[in-house]
Amino acid sequence: MKTLRYSAVMAAAIAWTSGMAQAELTLSVLIDNNPETIASMEAVTAAYTAANPEVTFDIEQRAGGADGDNIVKTRLATGEMADIFNYNSGSLFQALKPQETMADLTAIEGQANVLDSFKQVVTAPDGTVRGVPFGPAMGGGIFYNRKIYADLGLTVPKSWDEFMANNAKVAEAGKVPVITTFGDTWTSQLFVLGDYFNVQAEVPTFAAEYTANKAKYASTPAAMRGFEYLEAVFKANYMNEDFGVASFEDGMRMVATGEGAHYPMLTFGIGTVKQNHPDSLADLGFFAQPGPDAAKNGLTVWMPAALYVPAASPNAEEAIKFLNFVASVEGCNTMIGAAGASGPYLIKGCELPADVPPAVADMLPYFQTEGMTAPALEFLSPVKGPALEQITVEVGSGIRPAAEAAALYDQDVEKQAKQLGLPNW
Amino acid sequence: MSLRRDFARRRNTGILALLVATVIFILPFLYIFLMAVKTKQEASLFLFNWPSEWQAWQNLVDVVQTRNYMLLLAYFNSTVITVGAVTLLVIFGAMVGYVLQRRPSGWNKLIYACILIGLMVPPAIVPTIWVLQGLGLFKTIHGMIFIQVAYGLAFSVLLYRSFISTIPRDLDEAAIIDGAKPWQVFFKVILPLLKPVTVTLIVVQSIAIFNDFTNPLYYLPGKENVTVQLTLFNFQSQFQSQYNLLFMNILLVTIPPLLVFIFFNRQIVAGMTSGAVKG
Repeated sequence: MKTLRYSAVMAAAIAWTSGMAQAELTLSVLIDNNPETIASMEAVTAAYTAANPEVTFDIEQRAGGADGDNIVKTRLATGEMADIFNYNSGSLFQALKPQETMADLTAIEGQANVLDSFKQVVTAPDGTVRGVPFGPAMGGGIFYNRKIYADLGLTVPKSWDEFMANNAKVAEAGKVPVITTFGDTWTSQLFVLGDYFNVQAEVPTFAAEYTANKAKYASTPAAMRGFEYLEAVFKANYMNEDFGVASFEDGMRMVATGEGAHYPMLTFGIGTVKQNHPDSLADLGFFAQPGPDAAKNGLTVWMPAALYVPAASPNAEEAIKFLNFVASVEGCNTMIGAAGASGPYLIKGCELPADVPPAVADMLPYFQTEGMTAPALEFLSPVKGPALEQITVEVGSGIRPAAEAAALYDQDVEKQAKQLGLPNW
Repeated sequence: MSLRRDFARRRNTGILALLVATVIFILPFLYIFLMAVKTKQEASLFLFNWPSEWQAWQNLVDVVQTRNYMLLLAYFNSTVITVGAVTLLVIFGAMVGYVLQRRPSGWNKLIYACILIGLMVPPAIVPTIWVLQGLGLFKTIHGMIFIQVAYGLAFSVLLYRSFISTIPRDLDEAAIIDGAKPWQVFFKVILPLLKPVTVTLIVVQSIAIFNDFTNPLYYLPGKENVTVQLTLFNFQSQFQSQYNLLFMNILLVTIPPLLVFIFFNRQIVAGMTSGAVKG
């Protein structure tokens, strides 16, 4: 009798707490562990909870890079994904089979604010949009030291010939013209990947034909130029002496403090300078990778990651309401306030503050003029070979000539295209 | 004359061995320590030099306080997983090894094959998660303990089986004649005799489980389920890393296994030699 009464009380208690849980919803969020991502997400969730006190968030962090890919894929496959998660857009997004695993976000209110250039990199093969942008866009180009440029009276180059002429003057002055950091092999790819604006300015159909196995790096002179640039820099002996072992951190230090003049890199490097050399931040400048034609120079852009809702989420409705907030101007301003502005956000009407670091300010004009930016190839085509960084290290170290390297890279991507089951490979 | 030369040669080899040991064991540790006490600006240079500004206490406090004292929770979780898994490994490893060694039967070959498969075939992650989900063990600490036991059991059984073969059967028989029940034979007579190999197993497995990174990464998601190795991700990310805090974290994570080693050092050496004499 006693146990019966006890269990009745227990049942009532359980019913009561579950009633509470329905009124007060907790959304789980899985994000990568970049300091900027964490700061943005914490700020934007706090702002949302302040406006909607019944919704709280449980933020969990995961690794980035290859480990992160595995975690996201494993959790989607086993149905253990959080209600909201962030992940790369472009070809990595396509690899998650978005049409099966993610909720359709085409018609949600927030999409009205998202720039079309971003929508195309989170569109599933069936034509539906599956994500909203989270974080600033990055540019791939060349960092330069403003002090060296001022001292030597140089101007920002628009064409490759001007760039090499600047390098000659820098070398004469006894500084390193092009900082090269093959200790972190991924940094070697920038001349090839960052050149994509110039490639598509010359061959507008390259991405589509490349995916369809019609255009090749080795047979398209515009595309092969990226490899030739690496070779030219090596042959002119414009690199730092320790180029084989220097790391990404070394590279950012050298270009910020004026040990070297140029460093081809993505703009997220600004954050590293802000952390390790805050005094040199004002000396850091940025320009797009120069191409053959000064009149047709523009910036290759890496799109930000996106937030997605898994198709299996039981709280999809509330999660989508939150995404509407993230894609609003208010949400965008909240994130800029928390993480600083290292690049433009792809939300209509979301302006960056006036006091951004000079390297960011250098990047903005490209975005303000129509046709001055193009997404990097990896956002337009799912074909990217795994061995590119090894091949570019070989070219940049003078081990393999550019033409041979381009042909080798064409072979490398073939494996991946076949794995993806693309037609015509 | 020759005695003196002999002495000089021995002294020189001794000094050389010490130098080699210093380079291999002490220098990396010193490097971790020096990196851990630097400022983040200085740590990003990766130089093996004396820090110009000592920031040991500040870094320590930063690391411990990060993400709402995540490191302390991680120490607790890792300790529970390690102690739980090693306890089960010792008990079950010894039991299975004992039965396998003492009771020859037709099944032994099959069981032995299963153990070898367990040792050699790498586990697949997604199917294992399905099994855990089916059993309601996914995302739980005890589920993680069972995973570690499953991965380590084959090794412990092999270790125990070969060690038990050096214990004379006469001891079992004497105990039975004295009226011991089967479980008393195992727990009161055999298990205490296994102490040397048990200590070795505890050291090897607890260091492996405490330092395990990939298994908790996939089998134990959730922010309250964090283990010590996963806290390293707080300071190292794809684009931006805080190396001074990362190295301080590494230093803190290295301490528990070091303590285990110092604490059990005498027994490990004793275990090795006693095993050697018994052959």
